[in-house]
Amino acid sequence: MEPKLSNIDLHNESTLVDAIGRLVISGESINDILQKILEQSVTVCSGVRGFLAIVDHDRGELDVRYTFGEGWSEEKRLGRLKVSEETGRGITSHVAATSRPYNAPNVRLDPYYIRSFDDVKSELAVPLVDGYGRTRGVINLQSVHLDGFGEECERFVQALAKLGAIAMVVADHRSRETALVQIGKELTGFTDSEAIPQKVLDVTAEALSFEDCSLFLVDRSSGKLILRASRGPLKEMIGKAAYDIGEGLTGWIAQNKQSIRVHNPSSDSRWRGLHQELPNIEDGAFMGVPILGRSGLLGVLRVQRRRSPYNWFRNDFTEDEERILATIAGQLAVALENARLVDQLVKTERLAAWGEMSARSAHMIGNRVFAIKGDINEIEYILGTSESDPADAWKLLESVKNGIFLLEEILNEFREFVKATQIELVEADINSLIKEAVEESFPKRSGSVLRLNLQGDLPHVCADPTKLKRSFSELLENAISFQPDGGEVVITTSMANAENKSWLKSPSDSKEYVTLSFQDSGPGVKTEDKPKIFNPFFTSRAKGMGLGLSIVKGIIDAHDGAIYENGIPGAGAKFTILLPCVCEGPRRKQVNTEE
Amino acid sequence: MCRILVIDDEEAVRSAVKRRLERDGYGVDTAETQEQGIEAIGTHKPPYDVVVTDMVMESPTSGLEVLQAALSSDIFTELIVLTAYGNVGNAVECMKRGAFDYVEKNIPGVDVFELLSLKVQQALERRKVSLATLRKIEHFTSAK
Repeated sequence: MEPKLSNIDLHNESTLVDAIGRLVISGESINDILQKILEQSVTVCSGVRGFLAIVDHDRGELDVRYTFGEGWSEEKRLGRLKVSEETGRGITSHVAATSRPYNAPNVRLDPYYIRSFDDVKSELAVPLVDGYGRTRGVINLQSVHLDGFGEECERFVQALAKLGAIAMVVADHRSRETALVQIGKELTGFTDSEAIPQKVLDVTAEALSFEDCSLFLVDRSSGKLILRASRGPLKEMIGKAAYDIGEGLTGWIAQNKQSIRVHNPSSDSRWRGLHQELPNIEDGAFMGVPILGRSGLLGVLRVQRRRSPYNWFRNDFTEDEERILATIAGQLAVALENARLVDQLVKTERLAAWGEMSARSAHMIGNRVFAIKGDINEIEYILGTSESDPADAWKLLESVKNGIFLLEEILNEFREFVKATQIELVEADINSLIKEAVEESFPKRSGSVLRLNLQGDLPHVCADPTKLKRSFSELLENAISFQPDGGEVVITTSMANAENKSWLKSPSDSKEYVTLSFQDSGPGVKTEDKPKIFNPFFTSRAKGMGLGLSIVKGIIDAHDGAIYENGIPGAGAKFTILLPCVCEGPRRKQVNTEE
Repeated sequence: MCRILVIDDEEAVRSAVKRRLERDGYGVDTAETQEQGIEAIGTHKPPYDVVVTDMVMESPTSGLEVLQAALSSDIFTELIVLTAYGNVGNAVECMKRGAFDYVEKNIPGVDVFELLSLKVQQALERRKVSLATLRKIEHFTSAK
């Protein structure tokens, strides 16, 4: 049986209101809760119909989102109402503007009423007001009788409206919580410091429906705050818009390491209005928080809200919103510092590698040259003595030639090591690349047997074909050289699985990778050597400087891929490579090797 | 015949030095590692007259360790350190501790093999003088 006001004890609000209250707590979807509130209001108060409109704070409009009862056409369902305090603009608009319930016992005599349904005689409108005193929505009930809604009914609908407002706040918090967790997830393991700012703004805007949001980071060379990301018109000013520390509200936040939350920012004495997301922000709202890392100030995250064209509507930022922005800034700080550490580490590693590289190559080149000089010294001696045998001089010349070849080999490796990270990416078929590399470098008369185990329908990979073939050849040569008495070399291609992807620097479930492996039946890599094999100068072969595998790794890393060795020691080496399938357009990527 | 030991981890270096010193009429042995070199110094009878060693092999101070082994086997064994160009710090340290001299492997414009040959000759002379002095002292003390 439908509940009616007459058979509900409204003084004992343990029945319907309680039931709705439980819905709010249980985390029922906000749409279901509001629809139920509307339905119960209409039913209990014996209305002919009703609607629940949600306030759109940005536009100053009411969006009729929930309807119940007779006579709703699709057109009426999609209606929007302007919020207005003025007479003749509708009862709902008036209630939204004043945040107070309004009972119109006879709509014909009512100054605010606008006609929408012909049969309406009386109306009741009750606002949903949140803890900050903001109207979030309005319940509108209509009756075909004069004075259709009594005092008791008004009290009952008010109780439900309160619950509705709470439900909306709870839902907001839930979605913000989800967004914050999302930001946290996005930022963990995100090591590309260039891409972090924009990523954060995107998620922030989505989560908090700020109108515009900008991120300024401290530039370490100039000491200024430079715009690094923005969602509004300032987007064009990224890298250009700047504040001195202490300049304007943004500079004040940086100087004092404190947040600012102001209404009418232009009336604030610190306001300079240098770079604005919104043209009419003078009378809007401004909120900014410092981004503080362990090493001190990293930047300022700020949001602005447009001036509300409606006197009745306060659109200043709330304390809650400030807390959320501060939380985002905190997560951002951690991510930025992590990314900077990774950057530094990479640079330091590279620098160390370069130092060692120069020392080693100087030593190797020095020794070769020393030996060549020895040969020449001997040739001079032989040619200077009358009884000497010219055949000896020829032998020595041969040795000089070999010495020079060795030098060239060293120089070659050196050059390839340097160029490994300079790649030009295009979309390429991995299986064809492998076949070409095999054709070019697998010796025709080799004791080793080659087996290709290539999966046919693989997506294209993002590759520098020349560089990749060079690394495949290196792996092939390696495999063959470690099994001089013959054996098997198996090359396999397939899509990467989760285990493969775990070797990536920043594993991502969503990105697709192709994997290829080179497996031989040689002695394999000893467990204690596994962490070292990709280091420059680690070699168990006599040729060159031992840069081969480090060059291969350099090439694969430059492809944003991964390479690892996972063979069983004693049973053959197995090198596995992961390459990304998606190419963000052919691009040139260059790592600055001078650094 | 004077005996010389050449220690270097590069075959090309060992054979070139050996060949040049043999031309001067010395008997030349070679060792590939610091360890092998130290073993040869300890077991060779009579002791080597001159040891030519690379400074940097297993460790940056390989030359110092060879020096220590040579001096403890025969206090008058002369040591010449081969060093990479521009890297003389440890070689100077060797000289402070009693090495005869050092030779940079890659001095631009200099025929280091002739230089080395000269240094070996000088080292042998110093050893001869030292041994002669020792004999005189021995003679003097035993006559007393």
